[in-house]
Order: sequence, then structure tokens, then C-alpha cells
Amino acid sequence: MSGVIKSEPFVINIGPQHPSTHGVFRIKATVDGEKVIDAEMVMGYLHRSMEKLAEERTYTQNIPFTDRTDYLSSMSNNLGYCLAVEKLAGIEVPPRGNAIRVIMAELQRLASHCMAVGAFANDTGAWQTPVMWAFREREKILDIFEVTSGARLTCNYMRIGGVAFDLRPEFEPMVRRVLRDFPPFIDEMEGLLSGNEIFIARTKGVGVLTPEMATNASLSGPMLRGSGIAWDIRKADPYCGYEQYDFDIPIGYNGDSYDRFIVRLEEMRQSVRIIQQALDGLPGGPFRTEVPLALRPPKGEAYARIESPRGELGYYLVSDEGPSPYRFHIRPPSFINLSALKEMTVGGTVADAIVVLGSIDIVVGEIDR
Amino acid sequence: MTPFLTSDRWYDIRDLGNLSSAILEALDKVLPFEVVYILAAVIGFVASFLLFVLPSQLFVGVYGERRLIGRMQSRLGPNRVGPFGLLQPIADAIKLIQKEALTPTQADRAVMYVAPILFVMPAVLLWAVIPFGEHMVIADIPVSLMYFLAVSSLPVIATFMAGWSANNKYSLFGAMRIVSMVISYESPLVLTLLGAVVLTGTISLSGMVAWADEFNIWVVFVQPLALVIYFICVSAELNRTPVDIAEAESEIVAGYLTEYSGMKWGLFYGMDIGYALAASGFITTVFLGGWTFFGLEAWIPGWLIFIAKTYLIYFLFIWTRGTLPRLRADQLMAFAWKFLLPLGVFNLLIVSTERMLWFEQDYAKGLVYVFAAVNIALSAVLVYVWARFNGYRPERTPTRPRLVKQAGGYIPVGERS
Amino acid sequence: MMDGFGPSLAFWVLAAITLVAAGGVMVSRNLLHAVLFLILTFVGVAGFFVLLSADFIAMAQVIIYVGAIAVLVLFAVLLTPRSSRDNSETRWAAPGILLAVCLAAIFLFVVHDTAWRTVDAAPANLSAASLGRALLSTWVVPFEIASVLLTAALVGAIMLTRSPEEEAEDALA
Repeated sequence: MSGVIKSEPFVINIGPQHPSTHGVFRIKATVDGEKVIDAEMVMGYLHRSMEKLAEERTYTQNIPFTDRTDYLSSMSNNLGYCLAVEKLAGIEVPPRGNAIRVIMAELQRLASHCMAVGAFANDTGAWQTPVMWAFREREKILDIFEVTSGARLTCNYMRIGGVAFDLRPEFEPMVRRVLRDFPPFIDEMEGLLSGNEIFIARTKGVGVLTPEMATNASLSGPMLRGSGIAWDIRKADPYCGYEQYDFDIPIGYNGDSYDRFIVRLEEMRQSVRIIQQALDGLPGGPFRTEVPLALRPPKGEAYARIESPRGELGYYLVSDEGPSPYRFHIRPPSFINLSALKEMTVGGTVADAIVVLGSIDIVVGEIDR
Repeated sequence: MTPFLTSDRWYDIRDLGNLSSAILEALDKVLPFEVVYILAAVIGFVASFLLFVLPSQLFVGVYGERRLIGRMQSRLGPNRVGPFGLLQPIADAIKLIQKEALTPTQADRAVMYVAPILFVMPAVLLWAVIPFGEHMVIADIPVSLMYFLAVSSLPVIATFMAGWSANNKYSLFGAMRIVSMVISYESPLVLTLLGAVVLTGTISLSGMVAWADEFNIWVVFVQPLALVIYFICVSAELNRTPVDIAEAESEIVAGYLTEYSGMKWGLFYGMDIGYALAASGFITTVFLGGWTFFGLEAWIPGWLIFIAKTYLIYFLFIWTRGTLPRLRADQLMAFAWKFLLPLGVFNLLIVSTERMLWFEQDYAKGLVYVFAAVNIALSAVLVYVWARFNGYRPERTPTRPRLVKQAGGYIPVGERS
Repeated sequence: MMDGFGPSLAFWVLAAITLVAAGGVMVSRNLLHAVLFLILTFVGVAGFFVLLSADFIAMAQVIIYVGAIAVLVLFAVLLTPRSSRDNSETRWAAPGILLAVCLAAIFLFVVHDTAWRTVDAAPANLSAASLGRALLSTWVVPFEIASVLLTAALVGAIMLTRSPEEEAEDALA
């Protein structure tokens, strides 16, 4: 024994039924005392074979599927898919449609980040208070979605060539109210968590991702920006007219969980700015170009990507001139971001692993599809 | 107590001890001694139950623990069962009794069965030495502070038994964590209480209240640091939320409670409130002058003052639960050993010196106020200096990310974009 | 002290609990059960102290033995590999029994041959204040020696359990 106490490593299953895995995801962690010495990710519990199913349905019929991949940001997923189809078929979207899409996507980013920030705080142990506060604000945005699209979570609002319906008259005052309420809420969250000693102690230096690791694992979204890399599809490869709006990319310092958290908070501020500009300059005119219901895009392939709340969301479509896609593939940001989980958790404690998982902000519907 | 309005008649509700002693004296004339002896204990228990435990479970269990936290979390909390949702804990208890108490096949059945019972017993025993009013204490033993410490170290064994017997890895984690926590936090806890003991020169809880009454100052003003350290330590021992690593919900599901269900779980849950209340009562007695309030106790019943103070302290528990995230196990250990323990030693050093000075001045009444002023300033300085010494630099943590206009590659920290 | 119905009943109940628990420590095959029985024994002994009007010592017994030492033992058991194994190795049973019989014989002999004095009045010097005074005046040298010994043991324990990696880290720092 040489005077050193050795403990036996044992395997502990974090998930598939665990309060902090945000769905049915499982980390098979080998722990030595509290220390994680190996972590294996097990996924597929929520696999619904969406990509294969989509090959049997028409292009329009596939839009509801995209709602159910990342169910916390259905608007962004609709948008990504519609952009891919439009690219494939060469369809132009009218300016009003684009502006509505931007507003919706940014509102969705607010709602999704509310959830991300709240759930992350819950994972650090702030017992439900931040998540409840975040839900309170998220409700207001979901109300807007309900008024506009008829659904709160799975909106199915974007259409190929624009959006499904025009905005209702009560839309603008509701959004203005959200814009008024949101900056104080972000300040409130900052006051509750950003400067909190316990929160800093729990998240600072936990799950550090160096810029090299982040790029090598092809991460995107707040994960990448937290590591100090200025990358945002909205700036780098603008879509829907994002180039007209003035906003900044927040980037972190060390790439730890804390940086990812403050980056998300700041992204919410920037989203409020974008919505403000888009709403002030909302053009008139048609909100959609008419597209045949049984769309048959020309032979070819297209990849469209957007900056979803979780990172680069890409849709890859191959058309064989049939009414349904020959190949339908999603590049889910959660799934790719998760690939760095092992590097971030091994060496930390079990509690750290939970915090790291929370800071990735996964949606299992998107990972397993 | 001022003689004004004070009497020892049974109808004087400012001291319910009068009533119970009147009853016991009357009974003593007709019943043998042994029966009265047992009856006295029963009366004390029933009285403290009716006065305190039952209303506490109703008011604190619902209004504190759930409605108040509900308000903090911008939701309503239970409001359906009974008037204002007051009967919710009773409904919960009925539900829990109806539920099946599952035992895993590979569990250590006997230990798992005994653990909740062992957990409840100390929670009841703790109240025996807490003085509710001038004569209102069930067992006024001379070492009541030691008694409280001794009895409050028992539930740890029960929680360990619960965690170990379930044969579940999460439970085992919880058990391991609670044992290591107790080892770490017991020492600063006792050290800080030693500060209060040295100051008041007694280890009797009634004696401490009497001290506060005599010098017209609460121990907390002379020993502010002790209260802060004690509060943190007791939160850690009781598994309250900022430091509830033994049942950390987001990490190890429910820790030692993972495999418990039904009323076995209910006993653990209900007694969590019981222990926190007992700790609040203890803090009230030791640090906040118990049932005295600078002479107000002559007009208002002392037990009401005591209960009000206890709920105030309990509110602090709820407040921290509603706002603070949880620390990691190793951080908690480091905090206990590197921060609380040295501060406790410093505090003891200071208070011992003061006690010496005070003794030389023949316990002059005015001097204790000087000590209070000195200690409050000294505590603040001590905490600040010790924190800096341990490498605490809050200004090095930027709370806002950097902002860039253009997408590009990696931007090292310190470089302008 | 032992007159009256209550104290005698308490004595017999405590004696039964303590003895049965002590027997449990020996008999139980599961190491954890043995520790739990040991804790029960400690509590029983604390009860005896209460019966003897030694409140302070009783409370100290519970705090130190149940609150601290037993918890440490539990910790040690948790860190021991295969702690819940069936402890059926009986290599040491015969010498153990022999030793126990010898000890019991000596104890019985001593108990039988001592002229026990009975005191009617309650022992006067068992309050916490007088205990403290005795510790810090009459018995101050043994008290200090004990504390120095404990400190040395503490430092020694830390030195023993340090891993070579930690040593190397400290050497670098």
C-alpha cells in the first residue's frame, strides 16, 4: 500500500433518468471517489429516425419534423430547413418575410437562452429560483408565438418562401413589451448569478475549452464564443438580411463554463437590439412568395446554415427532382458540441460534470433526432 | 423580568410554566410521584408540540418553505388545500402514508428500516433543553449546550445508515459526502460556540439567556463572527440548500434519499424542517437572547418573542435556499478548513482576551458594549484580511464578455478587436 | 444514586442495551453493522454516565465517541475495499477467545477483590466549571502533554497519507 489510501474506481450512470441530463441522455462515468476518471456518452434513447422519415414526405410536410428536433427552438429549426429548401429551389423571400423571420429567430434565441441559463443555474444548485425567473420571461415570448403561429413550443411557422401567416395587430405591442422587460431581467439574472461567489466558484475554470480544442471539435455557438473565438454565422455568412442589423458578438476569456454563461446572457442583450432594429424597420409588402405545394426542386444539393441558439444549425438536402428530398441531413449543434464533453469532464468531479453538461446546453431531441 | 404585571398565577399567559406547574401541583396531591413525574414530561412535550412544532409545520412548512420560496421564485406555491393552503402538509402526509414504501431487494433491510426512525428521535429530543420562556424548559440541565451538540450529532449516523443501506451508488455518494462534511464542519461549529460560552461563562442555555437579560445585550453583537460561522456550519450539517451536497438534487439525484419512498421518505423530509427549526431555536437562544427582548418580555409573552426570533432565523435558511447555488464538496471542505476554522480560532482568541480584560475590570457593565463595537469592526476586518490572504480577488473576475463587431478567428484576452 | 424505581429501571435497560450491542459488535459479520452496534454501545455508556450524575462526561462521550470517532470509523470503513464482505475468516478465533477469557478472569478477580466504597451524597465536583478548573490547574501538565501528543498525531497522519505526487507538487512550489 506504500502509505497511500487507494480507493476502488466504480462506474456510475448519470442518466438516462437523472434530473440533470435534460432529457434521456446518459453519461457512463467511471469515478474514483468524487473524481471522474473516464466518461462515456451513451445516446440514442430519443432516436425517432427523423432523417429517414423525411425522405418519404414532401418538402412542406417536413417542416413540422424540424420543430421536433430542437424542441426548445423550433423557429430556428424551421428557418434553417426553409433556407435550405429555398437555396435548393432558388426561391427568393420578400423583405417583410425576412424581417419577420429575423424577429422570430431572435425571439426564439431569447426563449431558448432563458431556458439554457435557468437550467444551467439549476445544475449548479441554485434551487429553481433562476429557472423560474427565466421561465417567467420565456412565457411572454411563447405567448407571442402562440398569437402569431397558434402554437407555443412546436410553432411550425416558417414556410418555404416566407412565413405561414402575417403578423397579427397585437404582435407589435407584445414584442415591445418583451423588449422593455428583457434588459431588466438580464440585469436581474446578472445580479443574482454573475457576481455570486458560489456561482463563480462552481463555474469558473470548470470545463475549460481551449480555442484549439474548440475548433478541433468543430464546436459552434456560445461554446465556441466562450473560448474567445469570434465566430457567428449571422456575421460570417449572413442570411435573412442579418447584415443590415447592428449587433456585436460576445466572446469569453478562458472558455470555461462561466464564460459560456456570460456569453449567453450578453447574446440575449444583442438579440434584444436586433429585434428592436428589425421591428422599427419592418417593411410592408408580401410576407411570402407563393410556392407550389408539391415542390419539386431541380436536381442538386444544398446546405444552408443558421446561427441557432445552440450554434451552427445546418440542413443538407439532396434533390432528385422528386416531391420529397432524396437525402435529408441535419447538422445538430448540440450533438457536435457534446463531442467535447469527455475532454471537459475527465479530471473534474461529478459535480463539475453536471455543470459542464449544463453549460453545453444540450437538447436531446436534437442529438438523437 | 420587571415586577410590573408579573405574577405566578396560572392564568398569566406570559409564562405558560405557571399553568403547567399549577396543574402538576394539583395532580401531585392525588396521584403518586412516579405518575406525576411522567405526566410532567408529557405536559412539557405536548405543550411544546401544540405551541411550536405543529404551528411550525403548518406555518413554516407551508408559508415559509413553500409559499415564501414560491414568492421568491415568482410562482404561487400551494394554495388549494384548506384555508390559504394551510393544510397542505397534512394532505402530503396522508398521501405519503398511502404510498408504498419500497425496499430494493439488494438493500440492507434492517438498517434501511431503522434509519428514518433514528433520524426522527433526535429531532424531538433536541427541544427538551430549549427555553421557550422563563420557566418554560422541559429539562433545564446545566450542560444543555453540550446536550444540544451531542444530540444534534446523532442524525448524521441515521443519514449515513440510510445512504449506505440502500445499496445504490447515488445513496452511497450521499452517505460518503455527509460523513466527510460532518468531520469537517463539526470542529468550526464547536469552536464558534466556544466563543459564546467563553463570553457568557456558562454552558447552560437558560444561563445564556439570563446573561443576555442581565447585560442588556445579545451575544450576537459581541460575537457577530461566531453567529455567521455557526450559521454556515449548521447549514452544512443540516444539508440546507446552499451546501446540501449530500442530497444534491442535480448531481446525485437525491443522495441518501434516492431509494426511499412513502412515509419513510416523509419522515426524513419532515424532520429536515424539524432540525432546521431546532437549529433556529438554538441560534435564537444562544445568540439572540432567547425569550428576552430588552424588557419587552414583561408585556409580551416571552414564548412569543422566542418563536418570532426563531422564525426570523428560519427565514434566513429559506432565503439562502431560495437564492444561492450549491458549492462543490471539495470546495466546502476547503472552506471549512481554510476559512471557517482559522476564523473560529481567531474569534476564540479575541473573546478570551476580552473575557480576561473584563474579569480584571470586575465585569463592568459598560465594557461589554465597548467589546461589541470592537468586535463588530474586528470581525469585518478579520474576514476581509483572511479572505485576501487566502487569495480572494473578486475584481479579477469580469462579469461581462468582450464584444467584437466582426466575425473572425481567436482573439486572445487583452487584444483589442 | 441508584435508589428508586426510575433509575433502577434505567440502569437495567441501559445495561441490556449496552451488553447486547457490545455482543453485536463481536458477532456481526458485516463490518458496517459492527460499527453501528459500536455506536449503540457508546450511547449506552453515555446513559450510564447520566445515571451517575456526570452530565458533562455523558455529553462529551456522545459528542466525541458518537459524533466524531464513530463517524471517523464509518469513513474508514467506507474507504476500505470489500468492507461489507462476509468476515468469515476464523484464523484468529481461537487466540481471540483465549485472550477474552483471560481478560474476563482478570477483571472478575479485580472486581471481586476490591473493597468498593459507597458514597451516599452526590459527588460534588462534577460540574463543568469545576472540571475545567481541575483540568487547567491541578492536571494542567497531563492536559498539555495530551494536546501536544494529539497535535503530533494530527501532523503525522497528514504526512503519512500524502501521496508522492503531492510531495512532488509541494517541492516544486
